[in-house]
Amino acid sequence: METDEFIKAIAFNVVQGRVEAEDEGFDDGLEGQPGVTELVNEALENGVEPKEIVIEALTKSMEEVGEKFERNEYLIPDMLASAECVGVAMDILSPHLIKAGVKSKGKFVIATVAGDLHDIGKNIVAIMLKGAGYQVIDLGTDVSVDIIISAVKENEAPFIGLSALLTTTMRVMGEVVNKLEQEGLRDSVTVLIGGAPTSAAFAQEIGADAHCKDGFDAIDVLKTMAA
Amino acid sequence: MIIIAEKINGTLPMVKTIIQNRDQERLLDLAKQQVAAGASYIDVNVGTGIGSREDEIQAMEWAVETIQKEVETPLCIDSADPAVLESGLKSRNGRASLINSAKAEQESLEKVVPLASTYSAPLIALTMDESGIPKTVDDRLQAAEKVVSACERFDVPIENVFFDLLVMPISTDVKQGLKTLAAITEVKKQFPGCKTALGVSNVSYGLPARGRLNAAFLCMAVYAGLDAAIIDPLDHEISAAVKTAEVLVGRDRHCRKYMRAFRK
Repeated sequence: METDEFIKAIAFNVVQGRVEAEDEGFDDGLEGQPGVTELVNEALENGVEPKEIVIEALTKSMEEVGEKFERNEYLIPDMLASAECVGVAMDILSPHLIKAGVKSKGKFVIATVAGDLHDIGKNIVAIMLKGAGYQVIDLGTDVSVDIIISAVKENEAPFIGLSALLTTTMRVMGEVVNKLEQEGLRDSVTVLIGGAPTSAAFAQEIGADAHCKDGFDAIDVLKTMAA
Repeated sequence: MIIIAEKINGTLPMVKTIIQNRDQERLLDLAKQQVAAGASYIDVNVGTGIGSREDEIQAMEWAVETIQKEVETPLCIDSADPAVLESGLKSRNGRASLINSAKAEQESLEKVVPLASTYSAPLIALTMDESGIPKTVDDRLQAAEKVVSACERFDVPIENVFFDLLVMPISTDVKQGLKTLAAITEVKKQFPGCKTALGVSNVSYGLPARGRLNAAFLCMAVYAGLDAAIIDPLDHEISAAVKTAEVLVGRDRHCRKYMRAFRK
C-alpha cells in the first residue's frame, strides 16, 4: 500500500470504529479485514510519517465522526468505538512522535470537580482531546480546587477542562476560576466547562472561558481560540 | 413492585418552569397523573441548578406542602443535600416519606442516616462511596456494607434500607447492565431483609428505542429480585413491563394485577 492508501484505510476504520481485524464496524460485513491497530503498525513499517497519520488519518476522521454525531447518524457507542480507535492509534504512535520531535498542542488538565463522581463524559472528552493532539493530564473525579490548581502550576498547563454532572457540584467550577484569579493565573489559562447541568450562561456567570456541550465542541472551541 | 414516580424533577425543563413560577396547579396535575398511573411514592426533586441552597429549601417546602394538600400518596423526598432533605421531611408533618438519598460516603451517612432514624422513614442508599461510581459488583457490596454499619449505629432497621445498585448506561460500557443485575441478587443475599431500588432508564441512555431497553431491563431486574423501580409510571411500556414481569416470577397472586390491567 502507498502512503495515501494507508491514510485512507486508517481513516475509514476510525470512522467505522474498528480497533482490530476481528471487530465489527458501523457497516455490515467488515469483520476479518485489518483494523486500525494492524493498519497503523503496517503503515509505520512502510515508512509512513507518524505525524501524517495523526493529522490526515486520525484528526480528520474524528472530525467526520463529530459531524455524524451532530447529525444523529452516529450515537454514543459509535462515537466511543471511533474514539477508542484513536486512543489505540495514539498509544502506538506516541513513542514515534516523541522520537520525531513532534510537539503536542499543549497540556490540558481535565477533572471532574469535588463532590462529583461522574466520569463517563469527562473520559470521552479526554480521549478526544488526546486524539486531537493535546497532552491530557486527567486528574480523575471528585478533584479538589487545590489539586486542580497545583496540577496547572506544576504542568504550566494553558488549558483546564472541568466537568460536573450535578447541580450541587457545578458551583465548584466557579471556585476554581476564583482561585486561579487569586493565584494570578487566570490570564494564562483557558478554562472550559462541561456537563449536563452547565450552560453557556453558567460559564459566563462563573467567569469560565467557554461552555462545551461535548468533546467535539471542545476541540472546535480550542481551534477557534487558537486561530 | 414499589413504584417511585420520577417525573417531578427540577432538572426537567417543564418542571423547572413549574418550580420557578410556583405553579401549584401544574405541580398537582403531575402528581395526580402519576398516582392514577400506579405510583407508590411520588418523587419530589426541586433542584433546578440555579439559585442557592436556601432557594432549594424553600422550593422543597412549597412543593411538599402543595402536593400533600390534595394527594395522599407518600412522597419520596429527593435531594443530594441533607438540609433540603430535612426541610422536605419536616414539611411532611409525620406523613409517610421515603428519603432519596444517602451515599456510602462518611459525610452523607453521618447526615442523612440520622434523618431516617428521626423521621422513621425508609431510605434509599446509593451503593457508591468516596472511590466513585462503582465498576464492579464488589464495589457496590463494599459501599452497601458501609451503609449497613451506619444504619446499625443510628438504629435504622435494615428493612427500611433500599439499596440503589446504580444503573449505568450500556452505551458507554456494554457489560454494565449485567453488573447491576448481579448486584441486586448479591446485596439481598448478603444483607437479608434489605430492599433494592433502581433508576431504570439510565440503562438506555444514548441509544434508540429506549423504552424497549428499559422495559426489558426492568423485567430482568424483577427476576433478580428488585423491590422498587424509579420510573415514569405514565410510560405505558415500562408500566406494562412491571406487571408482566411480576406475574411471570409469581409475585402477583392469581395474576390479579396483570388481569386488572388488561381489563382497563
